[in-house]
Amino acid sequence: MTDVNNDRKETTSNLNIVEPDLNIEHSLYSELSSKFKDKVQLVYTKPNRIKVYVEPEHIIEVAFFLKSQLGLDHAESVCGTDYPNENVIEVIYHLNSYSHEELASIIFALSTKTDRNSSYLPSLLPVFKSVEYHERETYEMLGVYFQGHPRNERFLLPEDWADIPPLKKDFRIKGR
Amino acid sequence: MATAPKDFRFGSFVGSVVWLIFWIIVIVSLVGLPLIFIILFYIPLPYSNGEVITPYLFLSMIVDPTRTIPIIKFLIHTDIFRAAIFPGFMYAALIAATTIFVERKFLAKMQLRTGPLYAGKIEGILQLMADGLKLISKEIIAPSGADKPIFWSTPIIFVATAAALTALIPVAPGWVVSDLDVGLLAIFAILGFFPLLALLFSWSSNSKYPFIGGLRALHQLIAFEIPFILSALSIVLLSGSLNLTDIVESQYAFWFFAIAPISAFVFYISSLAELERVPFDLPEAESEIVAGWLTETSGMIYGLIQLGTYLKLYVLAALFVTLFLGGWMGPQIFPQELIPAFTGEKIYNATVVNGIFWFTIKTFAMIMLILLPRGINPRIRIDILLHTGWYKLIVLSFINMFIVLAMIYGGIITPGGLQ
Amino acid sequence: MTNKYSESLERKIKETTKLGLDVVKEAAEDRLMTLSVGPQHPGSGHFRFTIKVDGDYIVYCDPDPGYVHRGEEKMCEYRNFIQNIPHLERPVIHDSTNITYSYSLAVEELLGIEVPRRGQFIRAIASELNRQVYTLYWLAIYGIFLGHSTMFMWPAGDRELFIDLLAALTGARVTHAFNIPGGVRNDMPEGFKEKCLEYINYFEKRLKEYEDIFYNNPLFRQRTENVGILPKEDAIDLGVTGSVLRASGVPHDVRKVEPYDVYNEIDFKVQYMKTCDSFARAYVPFLDMRESCNITRQLLDKMPESGEVRLKLQSNPKGLIGEAYKRVESGRGALSYYIVSDGSSKPYRVKISVGSFRNILALPHLLVGSHLGDMPSIYWALNYWPVEADR
Repeated sequence: MTDVNNDRKETTSNLNIVEPDLNIEHSLYSELSSKFKDKVQLVYTKPNRIKVYVEPEHIIEVAFFLKSQLGLDHAESVCGTDYPNENVIEVIYHLNSYSHEELASIIFALSTKTDRNSSYLPSLLPVFKSVEYHERETYEMLGVYFQGHPRNERFLLPEDWADIPPLKKDFRIKGR
Repeated sequence: MATAPKDFRFGSFVGSVVWLIFWIIVIVSLVGLPLIFIILFYIPLPYSNGEVITPYLFLSMIVDPTRTIPIIKFLIHTDIFRAAIFPGFMYAALIAATTIFVERKFLAKMQLRTGPLYAGKIEGILQLMADGLKLISKEIIAPSGADKPIFWSTPIIFVATAAALTALIPVAPGWVVSDLDVGLLAIFAILGFFPLLALLFSWSSNSKYPFIGGLRALHQLIAFEIPFILSALSIVLLSGSLNLTDIVESQYAFWFFAIAPISAFVFYISSLAELERVPFDLPEAESEIVAGWLTETSGMIYGLIQLGTYLKLYVLAALFVTLFLGGWMGPQIFPQELIPAFTGEKIYNATVVNGIFWFTIKTFAMIMLILLPRGINPRIRIDILLHTGWYKLIVLSFINMFIVLAMIYGGIITPGGLQ
Repeated sequence: MTNKYSESLERKIKETTKLGLDVVKEAAEDRLMTLSVGPQHPGSGHFRFTIKVDGDYIVYCDPDPGYVHRGEEKMCEYRNFIQNIPHLERPVIHDSTNITYSYSLAVEELLGIEVPRRGQFIRAIASELNRQVYTLYWLAIYGIFLGHSTMFMWPAGDRELFIDLLAALTGARVTHAFNIPGGVRNDMPEGFKEKCLEYINYFEKRLKEYEDIFYNNPLFRQRTENVGILPKEDAIDLGVTGSVLRASGVPHDVRKVEPYDVYNEIDFKVQYMKTCDSFARAYVPFLDMRESCNITRQLLDKMPESGEVRLKLQSNPKGLIGEAYKRVESGRGALSYYIVSDGSSKPYRVKISVGSFRNILALPHLLVGSHLGDMPSIYWALNYWPVEADR
């Protein structure tokens, strides 16, 4: 039973806040923008976090680039958020890497927006296998139809669910 | 019966007992006594030694040992006593019931807990009775679409077959219900019924999980019958007869376990598989197929099948003792006479009591050994099980048979024991 | 054991099922039996998956979670930051400190506060103890699934020690409501450190016994070795996490990769194995438990003797506008929270990504083509907790 001693980060024994250098995050974004020019848009960079916005038409090729070139090989979660005042539903894919050690702590948030009333997005299942159940859950909770996903079906909700998708802001929990 | 019981009041309890006694006195004196006198008026009483046996005389005869002991001796040697009480069904059922309780306590101690504790004053000793009463009072649910005649009759046949096996085991010299010349073969023949019963019951349950369980039971029980028979074959070679009493008698010098340990091992593993005990309890693998072919049993049917299973446990443990551990042979530790000054007809026969004692001790030791793997091992998988049963165990039993044959050929031992 | 039958079956499986999702062809369907390993099954928990069985081989599997779905994420939007703690720890009642740990970290980032040092240490100690509790319970149920009743009783008994410790620390046996944004609720009682060290010393001796009796048992090894092999590339592709990932040769542990709170001061090794089978998935949590004892000792050593454990907040704090994504290593794997705040005192959106939900993707992948008897050992080795996956 072998084990590995990961000495990637230098550890200090007192809790002074180390200034984050954000080098890796910026280098990721610069590689991405050099390939895709103005199809991608940086939303923010924080220590170990970076968020990039892409239009739905280009998301598959951006995702493919992220997987094959930059090495982000799986998605930790797929989150859909309903913004009724901007009339959009934002779907964010949080990507992470197991195979590349320097990227293991970076969460790359790939976000895209779609119209609230007729929400269609291309499914990232051909690129990342790990989004399968997450996209299915986003479909049933928010009503976002993923084109290319083999099963846009009810997953967690009961079989006799006859209401609107529950995570939309129109859906109010009874009594609150 | 879903009513809440009323609070217990001692005064009302005493009142109900007094009321009961009152009614018994009334009925006996107004109805019972006249009836007895009418009967006695018309029926001639029997004669004995020139006296009429009146009820008073009968009662005084009961406490006189010189008159009652011959009656008891006569009763003990009748067939019905042997088949029903000892060494037949009641003895086996008593050992089976004790086994169930001992198993629960034994496993509990191994697993750092206490087991049944509350039923009965001492360490839960009446737990079996409580479980039996519970099972009797439960509803027996037969699944819709189940094959009714087979579903209802198979558990009874199961218990009957297991009880039939107990008729062949010799417990003490001269004490066996049926002393067949081919006793060992008869045991294997009756054991061959059990796969059929498992399959019938699982098929008649009309449900998927019992079906899978029944097929697994069929595969397992059939696969392990062959090493079972082959390992007993070396003993037949050593003793020269298939009669179980003769097999025990021929171990007067040493136990056959000393010459045939590999066969004993194969017999032990095969009996674990025949009994469907852990690690071979696939037919009722709870986490995969929801209790297997026993899924649809409920209430007394479940109780009957458990009784049959533990009777079979007793039989196989006793068979192991008979074949390999010398049956009832053991040093004579009971004195020839219990009460030295008492002369007259005795029902106490020192060799028989000694035989019963040693047999019971050895059977219990064997039962504990069969119970032990349940606390240690997980369940085995079906293909590993069949691989073991068909390849490895048959080879091992053949090896020991050849060793025994070599020793007989070399003249070290002859059929019938040492030269 | 490959033979002609299993080779032809594998060919049949390959051409008729892709990831277990397509409908099986008519010709093969006559021999198949559909079983519902449903919620009323001793071997499934609050979860259902449908399998089609051809004799002894499974050819199709379709998981169907959702039996305990409560709408945790929707409920979070109706309560303010601290009111969310009690209902958020219900998805995993045994491991409740870890599921609220990640939430507290994310909320602290949104509120812009920092927890005092002693509070961080106590949080980490409670998290480690909770990890032991959960892993022992998981080990116990694994024993039941394999038919080994002693493997159920011993871990369940030893688990009581840790539950006693947690009850002394937090006041409740499970679902402690201990981690809150700002720190922990109360300080350690007196004598806790000595009792904790005593229990950990005893537990390490017990772990040695577990290894001898459970893991070196030839029958256990036969049931779990070379069963349900998940190669490293598939594990990375499917995005599994936690002990399942570490059993396939990827040494990824959130406490090492992205140390939160005081984990950057603790020296420990990530436990992983390269054999990728069910035995590795059963053995890695055991190694994790041993390592966790080591971590707890260091935490107890390095903890400051006195100090605040909780930062006093105003009574209905408003979050800064923005979003936060924080993750923590729980008993099942990386547990991450993505919280969006719009400046009010209630979160705008809370998304919980749990290890169980990610790991269940491997179930159809592994079950198709395996024996029916391997189903419990594959299913439970994926470290799936049904209530957590449903949220």
